[in-house]
Amino acid sequence: MTVPSDITSTDHDLGPDGGSQDLSSAPTVVIDRAGLTYTVRTLTAPASGSPKRRWLKGLRASRMSRVEALRPLSLVIHHGESVGVIGTNGSGKSTLMNMITGRLRPTTGTIHATSTPIMLGVNAALVRTASGNDNITLGCLAMGMTPAQVEAKRPSIVELSGLAGKLHLPLRSYSSGMASRLQFAIATSVDPEILIIDEALNTGDAQFRDRTRARIDELREQAGCVFLVSHSLNTIKTMCTRVVWIEQGELIMDGPPAKVTANYRKYTKLLSEGLKDEAAEFRAMRQKSLRLTTVTWT
Amino acid sequence: MSVHGSTTDHVDAARADTVVDRSTVSRVGARPHLFRYIGQLFTYRHFVLFDARARVAGSSTNDSLGRLWMVLNPILNGATYFLVFGILLGTGRGIENFIGYLIIGVFMFRYTTSAVTSGSKSIVGNRAVIRAFSFPRATLPIAVNVRELLSNVPTFVMMFILILMIPPAEDISWTWLLFFPVLALQFIMNLGLSLFLARMVARWNDVTHLIAFGTRAWLYISAVFFSVERFEDTPLLIGLMHANPMFCVLDITRDALLYGGVGDPGRWLVLGGWALGSLVIGGIVFWQAEETYGRAQ
Repeated sequence: MTVPSDITSTDHDLGPDGGSQDLSSAPTVVIDRAGLTYTVRTLTAPASGSPKRRWLKGLRASRMSRVEALRPLSLVIHHGESVGVIGTNGSGKSTLMNMITGRLRPTTGTIHATSTPIMLGVNAALVRTASGNDNITLGCLAMGMTPAQVEAKRPSIVELSGLAGKLHLPLRSYSSGMASRLQFAIATSVDPEILIIDEALNTGDAQFRDRTRARIDELREQAGCVFLVSHSLNTIKTMCTRVVWIEQGELIMDGPPAKVTANYRKYTKLLSEGLKDEAAEFRAMRQKSLRLTTVTWT
Repeated sequence: MSVHGSTTDHVDAARADTVVDRSTVSRVGARPHLFRYIGQLFTYRHFVLFDARARVAGSSTNDSLGRLWMVLNPILNGATYFLVFGILLGTGRGIENFIGYLIIGVFMFRYTTSAVTSGSKSIVGNRAVIRAFSFPRATLPIAVNVRELLSNVPTFVMMFILILMIPPAEDISWTWLLFFPVLALQFIMNLGLSLFLARMVARWNDVTHLIAFGTRAWLYISAVFFSVERFEDTPLLIGLMHANPMFCVLDITRDALLYGGVGDPGRWLVLGGWALGSLVIGGIVFWQAEETYGRAQ
């Protein structure tokens, strides 16, 4: 297999911005050999064991399976970096992001940060029986605001959600698009230092998409450090200063956007052509030249 | 991006082996020290109160009779028990004002059942909120218990009205004030049990089945529709009854509302001990697993 020379020009991956980054500054996020393995209950009938054992297991109608969602990996992110996270579906991107926010605790290793990272996602974290207004209050209070701060933020949340006039209705009367707009408006009402943006945010109609984009840009400028999970490589290239490629729970590449996205594009192209073995080989090769970060604590 | 040249290797090496000062960062999602945790809970008091109120308002909007069910439900329950135990089985014989006795038993017990049942589901039922925001998770079981207390206010008012109206009608005396400290202790006990069970259910969802069974068994052994005097010949059973906090709640309330007494000091002691003990143990048990509640099962 031949690989174009433009994406193998350096032997190992370099940090974004190279020398322009002030690496002596204190890191904002430190991921130290963090990995996650979890057990899930599955409904599959066991095919092994004696008939008696099988009958017993069948009675429980579930068994435990171990899933290695993320192999231990280390990353150090400094102030001012915008990190794009790419990988095919099920690669472990969301797991990593959930670990960075502290919602999932890694089963090995640790993740440290200068402040609690805030994630903007589409999960409807709202109370369906309560009204839109009450959900704004609840969400803001859950983020630790005082009632006075909530009232100060309310007008801008209402405006961003574009739901003025519907906020007295209970949430279960909203469409899923309306609910996610409200969720987005609530979640972005704080100005976090470390911000994680999930790709799926860009749902909704064109008008809301523009408003979302504007607000994300605003937040991105204010935040000290941003993680952007996206399938759009163009978005990643324009917004990020560094890209991390995760595949099958493993860190494959970590480096400048142009180079990592080019390699990723090549990999997905191989996959879509059905060349699974070649793709795996290519991935393994890129991973080999990855220089692993080690963290030393003082 | 120009990263080529003599500095490249140097820069890369710096990135590859990073020295981090431990004092500048803290572990994400780390569980704070117990006393700091309690302090955090206090700063989230507005969240607790608002969450409780919002959910009370929205809880029964699916039924056309709405919050009326909060009152109708215990009345229908009480009527059933009266029919079965009072008339068919005759367990009420020898009890002065058996209807009042039964009403207090059913209404007060129902409060603990619903508070503990919904409190135990406060984590699994709110996983979306837990994953969306980082806040001390104990606010959820606390909010559920505040909600249950608020939504049971009409139930308690109905209980007073029934006791005053149904013959033999009782008069209001100063001992009725004792209802409030009893309710406070009951609230604390419910909260402690909710905290403990919320962690259990978050870990093993199967526990919900045991809770449904457990509250039912507890109902039958708490002298809700029979008198404890029928066990007079078995000191062991009497002793167990007296150690049962729900029996203490019912016994003190009946004494205060129906019989003009202030309750046996032993009952107050047992109830107080259970309330405090369950809050301390439940609180610590819940806090210990603080970091695990966002995990999917």
